[in-house]
Amino acid sequence: MTGKQQALQATPSSAPAAARPGTPVTALLKDVFKPLASLRLTIVCLACAMFIVFVGTLDQVQIGVYEAQLRYFKSFFLYFTLPGSQFRIPYFPGGYTLGAVLLINLIAAHLARFKFTWKKCGILILHSGLILLLIGQLVTSIFEEESQIQLDEGQTKNYSESPYFDELAIIDQSKPDSDAVISIPASRLIKGQTISLPIKGLQLRVDESYENAALINPNQLPSPNYPHLRLGPMAVAVAIQKTYKQNERNQPTAGVTLLKDDQPVGSWALSSGFPQPVQFKIGSDPFEIVFRPKRYYRPFSITLEEFKHDRYAGTDIAKNFSSKVRLVDPSAHENREALIYMNHPLWYSDLILYQAGFGNNDKTTVLQVMKNPSRLLPYIACGLMALGLVIQFGMHLVSFVRRRVIT
Amino acid sequence: MSPRKHAARLTPNAERQTPNAKRTIISWIIFIVLAGWAVSNMISKKPSSTFDVTGFGKLPVLAGGRVMPMDTLARVSLLQMNHHGVEEAAENQKPAQKPSQTQWLLDVLMLPEHSDGAKVFEVTNPDILDLFGWRKAGIYSFNDLQPFFAKIEEQASQAAQTDADARNAFQRGIVRLRDVLRLYVQLKNTIEPQDSPDFGKEVQVFQQAIQPGLDAVRNRDAGKPYDDQAFQRILLFTHRYQSLAQAKYAYAIPNPSGKTENDRWSPFSEALLGAIGTGQIPYPVTAYGQMVSAYRNGDAAGFNQALNQYQQYLRKNFSPELNRPTLEYYFNLAQPFYQSLVLYLVVFLLALFSWLVWPKILSQSALLLLGFAFVIHTGGLILRMYIQGRPPVTNLYSSAIFVGWATVLFCLVLERIYRNGIGSVCGAVIGFTTLLIAQNLQFDGDTMEMLRAVLDTNAWLATHVVGEVLGYSAVFLAGLIGIIYIFRGVFTTSFDENASKTLGRMIYGVVCFATLFSLVATVLGGIWADQSWGRFWGWDPKENGALLVVLWNAIILHARWGGFARERGVAVLAVFGNVIGSLSWFGVNMLGVGLHSYGFMDQAFGPLLAFVASQLVIMAIGLLPLKYWRGIRARGRHVAETGGVPAHAMPQ
Repeated sequence: MTGKQQALQATPSSAPAAARPGTPVTALLKDVFKPLASLRLTIVCLACAMFIVFVGTLDQVQIGVYEAQLRYFKSFFLYFTLPGSQFRIPYFPGGYTLGAVLLINLIAAHLARFKFTWKKCGILILHSGLILLLIGQLVTSIFEEESQIQLDEGQTKNYSESPYFDELAIIDQSKPDSDAVISIPASRLIKGQTISLPIKGLQLRVDESYENAALINPNQLPSPNYPHLRLGPMAVAVAIQKTYKQNERNQPTAGVTLLKDDQPVGSWALSSGFPQPVQFKIGSDPFEIVFRPKRYYRPFSITLEEFKHDRYAGTDIAKNFSSKVRLVDPSAHENREALIYMNHPLWYSDLILYQAGFGNNDKTTVLQVMKNPSRLLPYIACGLMALGLVIQFGMHLVSFVRRRVIT
Repeated sequence: MSPRKHAARLTPNAERQTPNAKRTIISWIIFIVLAGWAVSNMISKKPSSTFDVTGFGKLPVLAGGRVMPMDTLARVSLLQMNHHGVEEAAENQKPAQKPSQTQWLLDVLMLPEHSDGAKVFEVTNPDILDLFGWRKAGIYSFNDLQPFFAKIEEQASQAAQTDADARNAFQRGIVRLRDVLRLYVQLKNTIEPQDSPDFGKEVQVFQQAIQPGLDAVRNRDAGKPYDDQAFQRILLFTHRYQSLAQAKYAYAIPNPSGKTENDRWSPFSEALLGAIGTGQIPYPVTAYGQMVSAYRNGDAAGFNQALNQYQQYLRKNFSPELNRPTLEYYFNLAQPFYQSLVLYLVVFLLALFSWLVWPKILSQSALLLLGFAFVIHTGGLILRMYIQGRPPVTNLYSSAIFVGWATVLFCLVLERIYRNGIGSVCGAVIGFTTLLIAQNLQFDGDTMEMLRAVLDTNAWLATHVVGEVLGYSAVFLAGLIGIIYIFRGVFTTSFDENASKTLGRMIYGVVCFATLFSLVATVLGGIWADQSWGRFWGWDPKENGALLVVLWNAIILHARWGGFARERGVAVLAVFGNVIGSLSWFGVNMLGVGLHSYGFMDQAFGPLLAFVASQLVIMAIGLLPLKYWRGIRARGRHVAETGGVPAHAMPQ
């Protein structure tokens, strides 16, 4: 084992390039390279990774899986917010930082020890798999797009909706054959700000904005002048704490005024908890405004023909959920039936649709729609890692057994 | 761990002068006696009753979505009611003899007045006891609890409004008590209405009432004159059996003509009400009616005859479904996991004694017995897989069984390679501990429960889940050898350089396996997740737990390769692997977050915390400066005595 230690510890000093008399440049490179390629750094990074995984997992109880991902794993730093203030003090590297350092460390180590021997080829393959996995996860976390389609039996949709994000959509219906949609993410709706819209010189002024709201009957208000937004005769919205619960969704609500050439066109109170479009006109052009879950329009449509919730005989234990859907894509000349059930998603173009939920007395299905351009990378990475591991430990085992046989 | 044994190998002592053959014979005799004792425990005892309780126990019934023998229904029901498995005898029974589980179920199904007096409901929570004005925690009967039903229902429905994972001990307890009482009432109405004085007779009367009743109904609907008595009678029966429809915990009536799985079994009420349509009561209902009547009259011969006829009917019409329940009956009787649990304990004791007397003989018997326990363990595992038709790990309970099995397998391999007794001890300790954990996990009900929809895939269960569990096994084994390293070094004097090297090599080898299995399995899990959820990695607690295990193993390996940790360091790190392993195995299930919520449990938090604390203490001991290590100090003296020749340099 000691031989291996040295091999892995090897720094550029033992590499052929450094065998020549050191020029200042190679000396500098060596100084920079050495700590970057060190095994010590690897271990520190792995230990830090364990820490954030552990803390991030525990925190999921409070803030849910999605928010924990953002704070711990898809972030550069973990922040501590001083109680009663907005100050955020970074106290630990986040997932991105650690991943990046680990990646640099891995690559540096391989460059520093770039001396191929058969004995080390297992380790080499394993680590290149790891590099690919890290890169793949980075690409995934940037380009991945997650949305859902909720369909009642018989319903057809050509879009999916984000399970987390909402948008304020202004729909220009003046053209006969197509609508123009302007979508403003809910996070951009900040009280007091005015947003310029790329259409007909329109501007949107945000008069009030709640991150999350409860929709209640007006006579449930604690007092008539308790701050609220009136959505209609029977409903008002009051601001409540943002929720992180797995089975709850935030209902951002805003009071907005649309301006044309600084003249108000109309004012509305809109809530994503009540995504009913409101119609209005600018001049003679019909418009709609609605606060709704963020939409992703698709070139194809999906119709739910039948949803099935099978149970084991005599119990309520779910045996299977399945959605029989019809997929229609005029541009690709596709019109076919497909069955989506547990462990059996539908793959179409660059999307995967899988069975995620149900409701409404087993008449409604929820399909999760995933778009991940780098979804092949983990497969290749995993193949490499498994191969490397098997080669490495296999060689160990063989030499170990051989030693035992000799002695 | 057998320091003395090791010493024995180096320095001849009295035992060594015993001829080899004789030693082997003695150790085999010890082994055969103990193995024979274990086998005798597994063989069925003669039933004390003249009623064919065994035959009844093998009858198939559908409960929890699967066909099981009556015996399993009895065991599963009782396990939910109390933690002792076997209920205590009713007061009016001979107190010396505990009835078997099947006997109890027979009473519940056929003679409920009797079983109402049987003490089966465990009440331990002091607040619940206060509610009833009771002092003593214990096991109470249905009759004891009867006066408090209204109170229980009221409290339980209040408690049920709290989320299941936010309930306190009282709320959990009262909801559970209500649920098991409901279960009991459902059981009482499984094959007869609980108030039927003579169900066999009732079935006959019902059969005779169907045709005239139907005629009366038809005539009445047509506005013709009808027999009012026949009409009233069929109406009465209909109401009576409709109210039975709530009792559908177990479906006792097989329907051989059913095509789909859901059609092949029906609850009693359905069979009885269905008879009104067809005019013919299905034979199984009549058969059960005959058994009930005979049982209530104490007519053993009549009962056995009716049972026998029903068995023949099943064999003729339902034979494919009979195999597994019958096998499961014997599996229940033999209790292979319990037997191997006891044997592992015996192996451990043998190994302990082997350090005091007869090191060679006892450690050889220990190894033989470990192998035997492993055979029983394996047999149980294979039987379970066959009965369930699934790979070995399907829930938390079976993961404990499998961790134990895999560890013992690793240990037998280690023992084969190193022949130093460490394998026997580790196998015995981990085999015993994991089976004990499994024993405690089975109180939740049927351990062969049906799998939630997403888990219904044998291919992934067999690869990802099994690999993950093999990883845990190796982690715990490495951790245990680490503990042995630390204890032997700190507390014994036999810790020479050779022992230290050997233990270090063992830990390293096992950690390598842990890395291999956990990494490959985690990656496979990612692929499964990508296939069925559309994402490779979702930072779900269970995924993170698996990742922690992989990361920790990677740290150990890199620390060793980098020379940051040597034998002692690796041993201490391996002990921390126990902490990571236990958190990943059990801890994440207590969070109640995420998509993998199939193994939820919350009651084991205290024991888990205690285990983690104990491991941290052991690590602290392992980090004591070397001057406090007795093993190291002894080594110094030894070197002085032998004139500087290190122990491992001596000829073996």
